[in-house]
Amino acid sequence: MKTHLVISTSNELLRVAAMHIVYISSDGNYSNLLMSGGEIRMVTFQLGQIEEMINKQLPEMRSTFIRIGRSLIININQVYHINISRQQLVLHDRDNTYTLSASKEALKALKEHIEKNI
Amino acid sequence: MNPNKYDIQDTEIRIIGGSQPPQRNKKGWWLLAGIVAIVLLLIIILCLPSKSEQEEIGVFEQPITIVNPHPLRAWLQSLDTIQQIGTVIKDTVVNDIPMRIYVPLNTTPRLEVGYKCIDDTLHNILLFQAADVRADNKKIVGAFVLRGKPLSWGLSKKGYCSIIGDQVTIGVADNSPLFEQATEVGGYFFRQYPLVSNGVLVENELKSQSTRRGLCELEGRVVVVETFSSESLHDFAQALVDIGTANAIYLVGSSAIGWHRTIDGRGVASGQWEPRIYKNVSFIVWSL
Repeated sequence: MKTHLVISTSNELLRVAAMHIVYISSDGNYSNLLMSGGEIRMVTFQLGQIEEMINKQLPEMRSTFIRIGRSLIININQVYHINISRQQLVLHDRDNTYTLSASKEALKALKEHIEKNI
Repeated sequence: MNPNKYDIQDTEIRIIGGSQPPQRNKKGWWLLAGIVAIVLLLIIILCLPSKSEQEEIGVFEQPITIVNPHPLRAWLQSLDTIQQIGTVIKDTVVNDIPMRIYVPLNTTPRLEVGYKCIDDTLHNILLFQAADVRADNKKIVGAFVLRGKPLSWGLSKKGYCSIIGDQVTIGVADNSPLFEQATEVGGYFFRQYPLVSNGVLVENELKSQSTRRGLCELEGRVVVVETFSSESLHDFAQALVDIGTANAIYLVGSSAIGWHRTIDGRGVASGQWEPRIYKNVSFIVWSL
């Protein structure tokens, strides 16, 4: 079972355990991977390209990652708290919490998805 | 990559690897449908104006320009609040090209000829070599004006930079009235390879790869961008376009002399400072 996401450019290769990815956020033409422990890695790919890599490289980890709107991919296993009215999504790894923002509609859909898969 | 496959709205989520289409909140869908209907209605109304309405459009109306956001805009705007004089730097990677952006704050540049200016580390904020020196006669390449005095003429390179008072202009032209203006008001002018003109890449014949430096107009600021890797002028210019540069010309690359002073007063030198053999070496210098 493939468990690592490999992001490779002509100069660089990044190999990260998928379970350690907390979320991936879009930064214009780049993306920032936030790893458990708080380390942030910037990569020179757009979020859609990262989504495609996850699709291709991690077929057995489907449904682990969820694209939320245009600017966020989250690891579903790290979801800790959803507050729709405050438009707040809190992710949690072993040591840290990460508060993110998303649209009410997207958060409601995420909440329903998690409830459906309890 | 099929871009449509990965299209998503901010109101949607998608389970990656799942086969179902993006999950949409139904209330949001109806809201979206309502907005689309209103927009269509507005388009129909706006596309069918009466003749008299067409004639009422004023000639001084400014067209609305939609500017695409880019990743550096917020960072550059955050520099507006800094009062100190100094150079702020940002390292980034664009199209796999590692590069450094130097932003001189609260100071206007001038040109200097000769090495004397580079040793004034008490006052200098940022400096890089400006015009090239001809290999054959060791004179400055292209038109050059120093404090209103023309030192060189010629048009081997179509990019130019003029400094007149506080106004720095970077552009591309065969002939620029700014050359004459610089001579009349004690300004500065030099020529270099053009890289970007009005947001569009300018092709150059120079195909070799080297450390590249560019003088750029970015978000209304004049900044210097330098690569950490050897690049062709084409790839460098494309990277400048991709970060939102409006206009840019080349600065001397490779091992040319550079120096900057950070906001906290630390001086950092780059390039090859010795030997000092070209008396016509020129610099663009921001200083106190």
